[in-house]
Amino acid sequence: MSLIQVKDLYKIYQMGNTEVRALDGISVAIEKNEYVSIMGPSGSGKSTLMNLIGCLDTPTSGDFFMDGINVASMTDDELAHIRNKKIGFVFQTFNLLPKSTSLRNVELPLIYNGAIKAHERKDMARQALERVGLGDRVDHKPNELSGGQRQRVAIARALVNNPAIILADEPTGNLDSKTGEEIMALFDDLQALGNTIILVTHEEYIAEHAQRVVRLLDGKIEVDEATSRAK
Amino acid sequence: MRSFFWENLRIALSELWGHKTRTILTGTGIVIGIIAVSLMSTLISGVDGLFENSMKFLGRGNLYVEKWPWFGDEDWWTLRNRPRIEMDMAGEILERSEYAMVVASERGRSANLNYKELSTENIFIHGVTANFPEVSTVDVEFGRFFTDSEDRTGAQVILLGSEVAKSLFPLENPIDKMIYAGTTRFRVIGVLAEMGKFLGAFSQDTQVIIPIETFNKIFHGPWGMRRITVKVPEEYVADAKEELRGVVRVLRGLKPGEKDNFAINQQESFRQTYQGIKVAIGGTGLVITALSLLVGGIGIANIMFVSVKERTREIGVRKALGATRSQIQGQFLIEAILITAAGGLVGLLISTLASFGINKFLFPATMSFGVAFMAIALSAAVGLFAGLAPARKGAKLDPIEALRYE
Repeated sequence: MSLIQVKDLYKIYQMGNTEVRALDGISVAIEKNEYVSIMGPSGSGKSTLMNLIGCLDTPTSGDFFMDGINVASMTDDELAHIRNKKIGFVFQTFNLLPKSTSLRNVELPLIYNGAIKAHERKDMARQALERVGLGDRVDHKPNELSGGQRQRVAIARALVNNPAIILADEPTGNLDSKTGEEIMALFDDLQALGNTIILVTHEEYIAEHAQRVVRLLDGKIEVDEATSRAK
Repeated sequence: MRSFFWENLRIALSELWGHKTRTILTGTGIVIGIIAVSLMSTLISGVDGLFENSMKFLGRGNLYVEKWPWFGDEDWWTLRNRPRIEMDMAGEILERSEYAMVVASERGRSANLNYKELSTENIFIHGVTANFPEVSTVDVEFGRFFTDSEDRTGAQVILLGSEVAKSLFPLENPIDKMIYAGTTRFRVIGVLAEMGKFLGAFSQDTQVIIPIETFNKIFHGPWGMRRITVKVPEEYVADAKEELRGVVRVLRGLKPGEKDNFAINQQESFRQTYQGIKVAIGGTGLVITALSLLVGGIGIANIMFVSVKERTREIGVRKALGATRSQIQGQFLIEAILITAAGGLVGLLISTLASFGINKFLFPATMSFGVAFMAIALSAAVGLFAGLAPARKGAKLDPIEALRYE
């Protein structure tokens, strides 16, 4: 079975008397170690799909298997556990805790993991920061770091729990193009090391880093195709 | 599970430290509430001790036949018009009462005392029978009490309360010195041991004691205290009181159906009145405490709602990283409990200092460990209740909405 298996997924919002079909019957499969871009204009259902894949939300109907587990009908707390163990988020606005050091920020998913001892947590967080090239910034707070460094901290945080997928939502949206390229290079490296990456973006040149692009329009998959980088 | 707790404690501490002024202002209500409850119970325990000490002056097995009741709401004029207590009733009472073990007569009024050029004013002159030490706590420190024959013959002998002795004889030994009470000359035969104050106000050490017959000779007129003190076995005090009432009614020639025209006072009536006062003080303290804890709790709930709102995005991030509802809820609950527990500690500290002050300047009072423990538990409970609604609100936030919150 695929790492992510989505079948006939619907997400329907009731806005007064009108029905909004944010996702209108989506079926898609993503394999381990794939690098997939999800693209689409605003209102296409891109964010809704990302929230579902990120287990932040549940569908109105349809099946959604993550690593063989059906998450479509899970409770809030079960979803929280899945997010903690299976998903590493990278946000456009970094979403680091401003008062905490890089190390503490990266440590956070391990704290909510609950099964890892304090000194192991510190070691793992330090290693994750070294992997993104910030081994010398462990005690810095976000406001002492550049935008690119902050996003690296966020990526280290996404990696630290060894998640099944890394889910990046416009990860370069708040960065200049040069720093953005550096971050994208980091994602390329991570994929080469065996990680699965799902990238949500509206920038073609960013999407080009992936090996596969899924384009959405009006809640339906319009195109699902390999890019030039496909192996 | 433990790692969440430490994480939450750590977050709470850094949040509270980061908003010092807010934390202090929010905790103040709790501080006041805890001061009220702990100080009130300390005061009550102190007053209790004071009361019990004072009650020693009135023996448990003593019945006092007097004109005026100590407490009660009878008509003043009726009481005023009662006949005076006839002092010669004492012998009859001893004869007729089964329970009476000792019957002592007492009279009293105030006068000025002089020794050479030294004088003291408004000293309580207590005229008593020679058996008075048996019904009271007076203790002779130097010299001796007077004898029965000295009483019968109206000997001009006097015993001084410890304060009186100090002021009239600062440097000399008072025994066998001659002093004047009014215009009558007395020979000092003894000095009483220090007794302290009755109910913290009426000093027992500023009195002097003379034989009652001597008193009768010198002081004429209706004024002053007159009473007959009857000592009965403590375990039969209620029965003895009824019997005594009957005896005095017979001596007074009262007909059945006529009301008593005398009062029989006892320690018990003080006790009942005191219980009432204590309940009133305690009740007031509880109301003050409850109100300030309630107001303090509302303030904390309010500030916690603000805190949840301010940290909506942080909640979103934590949820995205895998925090469950109960972990988020715990985070805010711990914060609320920390504020109130700290408030409770500060309140306790202040009332501990205050109780040292009370101890030093008013009367012996110490805060018990139980009160301290209860104060801390109470303030933590307020935090728990105040934090519950905001914490639940934070825990229930939709992570998608929360992450989008600006």
